[in-house]
Parts: sequence; C-alpha cells; structure tokens
Amino acid sequence: MAVQLSENEIIRRAQKGDERAFTQLVKTYEDLVYSFAFKVCRDSDKASETWQDTFVNVYRKLHQFDGRSKFTTWLYSIVTNNCRMKRRQRKLDKASVSIDATTALSDHPVVDEEGHTIQTIPSWKETPLDTVMDKELQGVLDEAIQQLPFDYRVVFVLRDIEGLSAQEAGKVLKLSVPAVKSRLRRARVFLRERLNPYMTA
Amino acid sequence: MKKKTVHCPDVLKHICEELDTKLTTAQCRELKRHLSKCPNCTAYLDSLKTTIKLYSSVPTEHPPQKLRKQLFATLKLKP
Repeated sequence: MAVQLSENEIIRRAQKGDERAFTQLVKTYEDLVYSFAFKVCRDSDKASETWQDTFVNVYRKLHQFDGRSKFTTWLYSIVTNNCRMKRRQRKLDKASVSIDATTALSDHPVVDEEGHTIQTIPSWKETPLDTVMDKELQGVLDEAIQQLPFDYRVVFVLRDIEGLSAQEAGKVLKLSVPAVKSRLRRARVFLRERLNPYMTA
Repeated sequence: MKKKTVHCPDVLKHICEELDTKLTTAQCRELKRHLSKCPNCTAYLDSLKTTIKLYSSVPTEHPPQKLRKQLFATLKLKP
C-alpha cells in the first residue's frame, strides 16, 4: 500500500534531490501558481512565463526554504517577484492612476426634515454571481484591476481572492500588517470606484 | 461624558479595513449604530462587498498543456 507522505516530508525529500518528490510538489501547486500569476500579471503570456520561471526558481532554490513560513507563502513571494520583474522588463502595464481618486463620503450628509440621512450614494444593481459572468462585466473588472498599481493589486489578490491573513500577506510582501491593511483598504476603494459607473448605470 | 460623533468618512475608513471581521467589539458599537441608520454607508459597504465577490467569482485559470510539457522537459521530470 502506498504511504501518504506529509507535505513537509515531500519537501524534505525534494530538497535532497528526490525527483519524484519534486514532481509531486509541482503537481500539487501548478494550478495555484498559474492562477495567482494570472490574477497578478493580468496577461496570459506574462502569467505563463511567470509560472515557468517560478518552478525553475523553486527547483534551484528549494534548499533555501527553511520551513519557517508556509510553503505557499514562499511560492507566492517568488511569483510576485517574477511578475514584478516582467512588468519592469516589458513595461506592459497600463499607466496606473492615482490610488486616492475616490468618491468621498461627506462629513455633512443631506438630511430630511426629521434629520434622517437621505441616500445620495446609489445602490448597485443586482448581479447574479452564480451564472457565467458576461463579457462586458468581465471587461470592466479586467480594466479596473489593470489600473490598480501593482503592489496594491498583489495585496488585494492575496487577501480578498486567495484568502491569506494580513500577517501572511505581509510575509509574502515583506510589509507590516498595518501597511497591508492600508493598501488593502485603498485597493478595495479604488476598485469599487472603478466599477461604480457600470454597477449603477 | 460627551459621546463621540461618528461621521461617514470614519465609517468608510473602518469598514474598508475590517470588512471581513464582524463589527462586534466595543468600539464598533457606534459604527454599527451609524450603519443602521445611514443609507449611504450601507450602500457603500454593500458595494465594497460586491466588488470583492465579483473578483472572487472570476474563473480560475489553468496552465496550458504545452507549457506544462515544456516545464517538465526543462526540469527533466516525468509528467
């Protein structure tokens, strides 16, 4: 009967040059790495190159992984660095716009005769999330996140899409927890503002 | 003791940071009270949550087969 090895044991064996163990690691994480690279790079060519470079880096540097962080944290760091380098090399990203361009909620909202706040911020239209997303909405989402500066985009993807904690995201990006929180807040507001015209049209 | 008035921008700052946590701590009581009667902050909070849901629901991409073969060949691994 085949023995189920723990991830630590697979990593340990791969570090010693066991090819089967390394292949197992690639197979376990190939989808996670590609999916994350695609979300961060926002370009299939760059995601493909990043995916390949990441596993080549893992192959060469696995002995440096000391197990003090999660293996996925280490992988996310390599993907982020590779994607950042591709961005510098090709300068393909669209010019990122100011992160602070937001609709301010006013200190002095409009009130009715009885002092109740009148809603001046329109509610968003209902969007069924369980059906296949239409191409127009997909295009709006793509354009908005491409305009988000790279470092903010990575924080948003790690925290809100990949589900990492602020501490884990901080380890990936070598940022303090308050810095992660601040970037996440601004990224969320930025994306919300970009989607607002479409979602209230 | 004078009660601190909560303004919409304070609420925005807080809900944007702590969207994923329940507003249950003592200092959140004023925010909850504000949210319950402020349609603007409620609409804003709902739209932020929808933003995250929309991005989370984008389908996951998989590495193309050709690329996989290339990597396995480069690293001399058995697919």
